[in-house]
Amino acid sequence: MVDTSNVEYEPVRAAIAARFKSPLDLPKDIFSDSAVYKEELKRIFYGKYWHMLAHRAELPEPNSFKTTWLGEMPVLITRGEDDRIRAFVNACSHRGTLLEQRPTGCAQQFQCPYHRWLFNNEGDFCGAPGVRNFRSDFRKEDYALPELKVEEFAGLIFCSLAADVSIETWLGACGEHVRDCMIDDGRLTLLGYQKAIFHANWKTYFDNDFYHAPLLHLGFRVLGWQGGKGVVHVTEPVGHFSVGYDSEPYKDNGFLADPSVVETRGTDLRARVVALRPTYVLTKHVDTIGVRFVRPLGVDRTEVTYAFFGHESDTPEYREHRVRQASNLLGPSGLITIEDAAVFNRQQMTAADGGLSRFVNGVDQPPSESTQNDENGNTVGWAYYREVMGFAS
Amino acid sequence: MHPDVVRPNHETIDAAQLDELLGAYAAALDGQDWQAWLGLFAEECSYAVYSIENAQAGLPLGYMIDDRRERLLDRVNFITNVWAGTIEPYRTRHIIQRISAGRSADGLYNMRANMIVSYAERDQVRGILVSGYYQDVVQITEGGPRFVKKAVYLDGTPARYLAYPL
Repeated sequence: MVDTSNVEYEPVRAAIAARFKSPLDLPKDIFSDSAVYKEELKRIFYGKYWHMLAHRAELPEPNSFKTTWLGEMPVLITRGEDDRIRAFVNACSHRGTLLEQRPTGCAQQFQCPYHRWLFNNEGDFCGAPGVRNFRSDFRKEDYALPELKVEEFAGLIFCSLAADVSIETWLGACGEHVRDCMIDDGRLTLLGYQKAIFHANWKTYFDNDFYHAPLLHLGFRVLGWQGGKGVVHVTEPVGHFSVGYDSEPYKDNGFLADPSVVETRGTDLRARVVALRPTYVLTKHVDTIGVRFVRPLGVDRTEVTYAFFGHESDTPEYREHRVRQASNLLGPSGLITIEDAAVFNRQQMTAADGGLSRFVNGVDQPPSESTQNDENGNTVGWAYYREVMGFAS
Repeated sequence: MHPDVVRPNHETIDAAQLDELLGAYAAALDGQDWQAWLGLFAEECSYAVYSIENAQAGLPLGYMIDDRRERLLDRVNFITNVWAGTIEPYRTRHIIQRISAGRSADGLYNMRANMIVSYAERDQVRGILVSGYYQDVVQITEGGPRFVKKAVYLDGTPARYLAYPL
């Protein structure tokens, strides 16, 4: 079959490129044009980027598995008897039936319900009824589940279809911030998930999630958490971003009837946010440790799964504190983070008006000198995106 | 753990009072009368919203966990004084049906009720916000029936982010 995607994309690309002269001024079409979205699936989700799809704590024992999505591709992540984590396209190699439909579980083998094809958790085809009647050129090696590249970093499982560098190289200097944020000792435990569907393009979600102008957060203000002094790092050329700051403990100003929900009971007072291109976010705020997995649902909807973690050393009381803090502060309905969601959706509502989304604050200085309220933490990643999508030429 | 349905029993239950409470609860939420909502909880009370997915997997995280009255007060305070003007408001209709109730030895009622909530934004009906069920503990007080404990279990991902209690 002739691949017509370039024919369809080229006029869209050229029209956007004519207006996309700088990473400071984004033509809003990139958030609303379905041809751009389809091309992003190819160049970004199925391209050379690494994608954070799981954490080892979600696969707590040998033979654990998790199903998820990379773009619009179903993915099955397994932990083998050998403790190695693998990822496969979660589709039977015979007629394409979704192989495993449970979100998580434990299994050594996966059987397709359609013709009872059987695969082990290393992706090998193990057998099926009637093999003797299969086509003459049938070789079971040709019917293993297609495997994705997998690398683990600080307990996080990264997958890619076409990465040409290691995850270590991909993350660059941001790697140390990932390790710092994720308490990289292999002893995190899963507390659960919160899920939200935002009526926004995946980039709208990401670009406005990690960049937290405290001006938006009235919740910060009433809690006395005025930000702006955080130390920002932007990793070039991809544009990973991290910010860390010493969070001020809440001083009881009478606003909250129950201040215990914002208390930091652990010894780690530093807050941090790490944003990994193309669209993944890690947070460590007060006593919560959170990871945000992202799945685009077309050009204008995005599902975000907020996973929160505790630590094996937590006392029952501390674990309970983490649970109520994560449940009330930093998820999609959190006292603090709910204000972000409104911005995602309200930006998407204007995305087809032919205008620009512009960065102005602090962008004349190099990213290495940026502070938390500056917008040049966003622009390095946009410059990279502009190149990858062919808008720079 | 994911709680079981309360088995029907043959003792007399005060169904009218329980249904009156559920009706008043729907009216308070749909009318966004947050003081009325608070008034339907006993002095010592808890309110939480969980996904069935987490509950079935034994994971304790929720969308909201207000495990004491002060947390409910703070939730109302944020809705009225912090988020207004930032979040996108929406209207709801709570359709609630009691499916079982039983009385425990301490005189409290354990009740389960199914619910479907529709929502409208900018005067357009969007569809179903959530479906799920309530697992409640109810006390009949001199002032009427009150929730001692209300846990909401959601069937799946809400259609939009939740700003208000369910």
